[in-house]
Amino acid sequence: MSDPFKNTPPAPEDKGAMTAENIAAAVAGESQASQKYLAFADVADVESYPNVARLFRAVAYAESMHARNHLSVLGKIGTTTENLKAAWGGETFEIDEMYPAYDAVAKLQENKSAQTSIRYALKAEMDHQGIYDSTLKGVEGDKDLGAEPVRVCPICGHTVIGDAPDECPQCGTAGSYFKEF
Amino acid sequence: MDEAFERRLPKREDLNAMTEASLKAAFAGESQAAEKYMVFAEQAEEEGFPNIAKLFRAISFAETRHARNHLRVMKGINSTADNLAVAFAGESFEIDEMYPAYGEIAKAQKNAQASRSIKYAVKAEMDHKWMYSEAREKAVDGKDIAAQPVSVCLICGHTVIGDVPDKCPVCAAAKEYYRTF
Repeated sequence: MSDPFKNTPPAPEDKGAMTAENIAAAVAGESQASQKYLAFADVADVESYPNVARLFRAVAYAESMHARNHLSVLGKIGTTTENLKAAWGGETFEIDEMYPAYDAVAKLQENKSAQTSIRYALKAEMDHQGIYDSTLKGVEGDKDLGAEPVRVCPICGHTVIGDAPDECPQCGTAGSYFKEF
Repeated sequence: MDEAFERRLPKREDLNAMTEASLKAAFAGESQAAEKYMVFAEQAEEEGFPNIAKLFRAISFAETRHARNHLRVMKGINSTADNLAVAFAGESFEIDEMYPAYGEIAKAQKNAQASRSIKYAVKAEMDHKWMYSEAREKAVDGKDIAAQPVSVCLICGHTVIGDVPDKCPVCAAAKEYYRTF
């Protein structure tokens, strides 16, 4: 990359509490915008607007850059060890507190689709928690994860290391639909 | 996305207010997790953990599935013309209200990095706003936008349709920093 125009994302900054609160809200806003645009891109593809789909994906990427910049200012981008711990902590909160609470409300109110969406997420977060846990142990011994593929169900987010099952155990989607990383 | 695939997704639902509040919060949580994991993937790459990077990207994709499911249940995914109107309104709010307010507070608290992160975002949202406005005009007539490349500065998110400038007009990053869609 040519040097005169080199640039880097904004650096961590520990100053005003109100500003930190705003930047955290901006991370939430940018993240949600990015995810919305990705979902909108899929709709545009289905409706045969391939160029609008491309625009949505490009703008989603731009919002991801903003989310990253804001996270950097907040000092939330650590080493991989720290990042794995933060990721594990987030999954654990969702499994232990967030989704059980939301599920109780959805059950009480008999909102069935909401329960399905919550169950799909909760089950996958359990996969993630386990995978982050074992990965963290490896990294603490300075070891990378194995090179096997990671596969994700495009319906419910069920996540497996290695081969896809014939059928997703959570939502019944055929294994051939799984996305490989 | 074929029909069998569509059928497995959680359906749109008339939600009670508390369940809707839960799903909104879950959408915010999943969106932020997805963005964080993409940033953590880059960090893992830099530290020489390519397989952990891959894991973060896979799990980010899973969280994106959850965000989409929650959004779908809340009836947040509609026709492309409607989605473009929602996208336009979101960008307008960020430009007219959110970022100017955050920018004032960051200035008052002398947070230079936060100010920079805010400036980068608000400038790019202005690009997005008119792109969405033009795309919406086409989509309501059933027309796609032109097949030109859309490129995004990976430092500040500056978004341009057509040729990439020699250096980013917002953050001065060299054109090698642009990602083209």
